[in-house]
Amino acid sequence: MFKPYLLLLLISIFTVSCNSDDDALPQEELPPAGAYANGMFILNEGGFGNSNASVSFVGENGELSNSIFTEVNNRNLGDVAQSMGFFEDNAYIVVNNSSTVEVVDRYTFEEIATITEMVSSPRYIAFSGNKGFITNWGDPTNANDDFVAVLNLETNLVEAQIPVGEGPEKLLVENGKIYVAHKGGYGFGNAITVIDVASQSVNGTITVADVPDGMVADNGKLYVLCAGKPAYTEDETLGGIYKIDLASQTVESTIDFPETQHPGFLEMENGMLYYTLNNEIFTVNSNSFVLNTTPIFTTEEAGVQVLYGFNVNDGKIYIADAKDYSSNGQAFVFSLQGILQNTFNVGVIPRAFYFENE
Amino acid sequence: MKHLVTIFLLFGGFTGLLNAQTDPVTALDDVYLTPFKIQDSAYTVTATVLKDSVLKRNQASLTNLLTFNTPIYFKENGLGMVSSPSFRGTTASQTAVLWNGININSQTTGQTDFNTINTRGYNKIEVKPGGSVVDGSGAIGGSIHLENELNYNKGFSNQLFMNYGEFNTYGVDYRTTYSSENLSVMLGVARNGSDNDYPFPERERKNVNGQYQNTNVAFAAGSKLNLKNKLNFYANVYDGRRNFSVPTPNALKTKYTDFNTRALVEWESIWGSFASNLKVASTTEEYNYFANIDSDFFTFGTVESVIAKYSLDYSISKKMLLSAGGNFTRNSGEGSDISSETRNLAAALLGFKHFISKSFLYEITLRQETNENYGNPLLYSAGISAEVTDFYQLKLNTSKNFRIPTFNDLYWTGLGNPDLKPETSYQGEVSNKFHINNASLLVTGYYNTVTDLLRYIPGNDGIFRPKNTNEVEIYGIESVLSANKDFGKHKLNATATYAYTVSENKETGNQLTYVPFHKFTASVGYGVGNFSAYYQHLQNGKVYTSTDNSEENILNSYMTANLGAEYSFGKRKRYMLGVQALNLWNAAYQSALNRPMPGRNFNFYINLIF
Repeated sequence: MFKPYLLLLLISIFTVSCNSDDDALPQEELPPAGAYANGMFILNEGGFGNSNASVSFVGENGELSNSIFTEVNNRNLGDVAQSMGFFEDNAYIVVNNSSTVEVVDRYTFEEIATITEMVSSPRYIAFSGNKGFITNWGDPTNANDDFVAVLNLETNLVEAQIPVGEGPEKLLVENGKIYVAHKGGYGFGNAITVIDVASQSVNGTITVADVPDGMVADNGKLYVLCAGKPAYTEDETLGGIYKIDLASQTVESTIDFPETQHPGFLEMENGMLYYTLNNEIFTVNSNSFVLNTTPIFTTEEAGVQVLYGFNVNDGKIYIADAKDYSSNGQAFVFSLQGILQNTFNVGVIPRAFYFENE
Repeated sequence: MKHLVTIFLLFGGFTGLLNAQTDPVTALDDVYLTPFKIQDSAYTVTATVLKDSVLKRNQASLTNLLTFNTPIYFKENGLGMVSSPSFRGTTASQTAVLWNGININSQTTGQTDFNTINTRGYNKIEVKPGGSVVDGSGAIGGSIHLENELNYNKGFSNQLFMNYGEFNTYGVDYRTTYSSENLSVMLGVARNGSDNDYPFPERERKNVNGQYQNTNVAFAAGSKLNLKNKLNFYANVYDGRRNFSVPTPNALKTKYTDFNTRALVEWESIWGSFASNLKVASTTEEYNYFANIDSDFFTFGTVESVIAKYSLDYSISKKMLLSAGGNFTRNSGEGSDISSETRNLAAALLGFKHFISKSFLYEITLRQETNENYGNPLLYSAGISAEVTDFYQLKLNTSKNFRIPTFNDLYWTGLGNPDLKPETSYQGEVSNKFHINNASLLVTGYYNTVTDLLRYIPGNDGIFRPKNTNEVEIYGIESVLSANKDFGKHKLNATATYAYTVSENKETGNQLTYVPFHKFTASVGYGVGNFSAYYQHLQNGKVYTSTDNSEENILNSYMTANLGAEYSFGKRKRYMLGVQALNLWNAAYQSALNRPMPGRNFNFYINLIF
């Protein structure tokens, strides 16, 4: 039974203890405590309109807990969870179709706040200083109302909106700049918007190929993987990987994919870029920057039906399988060579992995 | 609308002769034999008929009526929102809805949204389980017939029905009828609406952005031109606007409008041993979907159809009836994501019914489709009926049925698949009907296998495209009990239905989503003098909402009930005042995941006949 006053009590107790901890001990000496302190989160977006988004957690011992948000907070997370972000002791869960961002304690998963004001179809979150930056589509059918919300991390209130072009998706912060990939929302974008953190204003645009998806910043370079427009648009375009020099904000070199190939994601591990093509995993050396035509492995052999989430972390490759978008999904863990190491039965439509070291 | 006005003007002023309309199926518990009507399984399956008195006691939506009175399960996205049926374990587009004999399932989605059918427009609703060859594409799980039955020699009569209840829910239904010996005219106007902002039982939230309103205008006229010819005209306009309630409180608000028109001319004639029936209909359907209620931007779909149906029945003898017929359908559609497309479909029908003795008959119907894209399928139905004893009747029926792909399936820009095959169903059923003086019990066992099920399957790119996929095996039991008894001045009647349904995806072995294994309904009515009361009960078994049947994603079983009381006054009891308590036990339940239905709420109604 849902008891709101108990919840309130929990929140207030938590807030109080959290504050006193902050006062008493310096951040880095605080050992993470709580049920979800050491391990990996798997975000399950849930069925569209079904309001059954959930978060799974795999502890250090490999033990899986599903639906931890609901378990702890005794309510549903919402409709279509898009992404998560971490800042200090908090986790921020961006729930797209609910137009909310849930703020929880990352170690206990107890709710702290729900951000509902001045966000609309939010997608991804990144942090700089005491601000969070959240990409928003606004009304997805309107190409002209998209923005990046500026979240005050102390008040959990959005204090500004920076207007940007259609379909801002993933974003990352590097050297006082925010790079926003315009995957395009309901349309198809081909730009990276550059926002100056200090002035909170747009100060440039970098044109890339169509549908920029994954981004990685490393050693003064920004790598952007673009999927290209798919065939069903009847205006199919090439996919590509862009290497952008951050100092000059210019494209340094590009890799084109062959026609009809539409890669996805982009991750980096030990100087190697990892991406996916259909159900296969590929790498590109970030220095030589030449397309590899043979995959490291294909995930089909391990039983992956629909590769929907991808990550590379600490020498392991993580794959989320959305299956038929109705069933509970699965998470697969592979070695960098593609040896299957573990599988987890998670929630509906798993889409992303988040690690303790993020 | 244009069609409607034209046809109205053309046929507005006819007069003539009349003769009594006959019906093969009149009520739940009496099916009798009447020739001169092309109905493939008229005698070897059993339909349920819901008449005006039952219609008035239920809420105006077809969803509500059928939920409480038939074994059909509805997945309703919150009260009044999109509602899709599962009839005998089949999918949402495998139930055909016919308006005065014309199929009105949406050509874009293949389904009928049962919350866009206002039952106040009709005086008879027939629920026919199982496949039907004559009802055509989509009649796999069963078909629902919405009918305007015309009466003759009843003079001038008016009826005004008004209801009002919590959440500012209102309904006004005015119907005027005039009939002489040769002419019958009916005009009905019904309007329903609600703020629909009900609190969710056992939760902190209430329904947001769920308001709806709709208007239905129904017109029917019949004219007996002479002893042998009868001309009927039917028209219907539905104009509905709904906001879709938000799944979570802060979500973007959306709205949806429907505008549907239908017009039908029917010419019935009889000469000698022949009976001929020609129907020509024009229908339009249009939806507009606003993904953001505050924006003028919307997506739309519109389809215009012309349907012609002809049948000729020949009585070879008093005991043998031969029928032949043809159907032609032309659909022209376009939409935000469908470029203008037209398709023509034609079919020929042949049927034979033979009463071997008073208590034994068989019937066969064949339907040859003539569309190469769909492999020119030959459909059939065949059945026998035997009065085994004076209290037991046995019926057997088997049929092959199909459902053709929709406009969306075929033509959706970039995603549609023009090579889709129709879904095909082979089914058989055995009905046992027991009847004694005041009671009857119908127990039907059925088996149905559906191949080439059309589903949207995600590709590696995460895009869903329609494909012919699995085979589904469905079997189950349906039973209907009805009884009535008078104790002096006290009148009691009761009906109950129970359905056990297994609907299994053959590839996975899992039950289809949103198909309950068990569904039970019961209603009990009591009347004495000017007072009557009734109680409706629904017990619904758990349903799976995910294809892997995972327990985390089930909807729990639930029960809900309604209680109503009515008092009639006036000299001829023609004025009625009623009150209803809906969801009497204040159950927290949902028929679609995370879409709670209202708790207990009250309404009252006035029904005036003058």
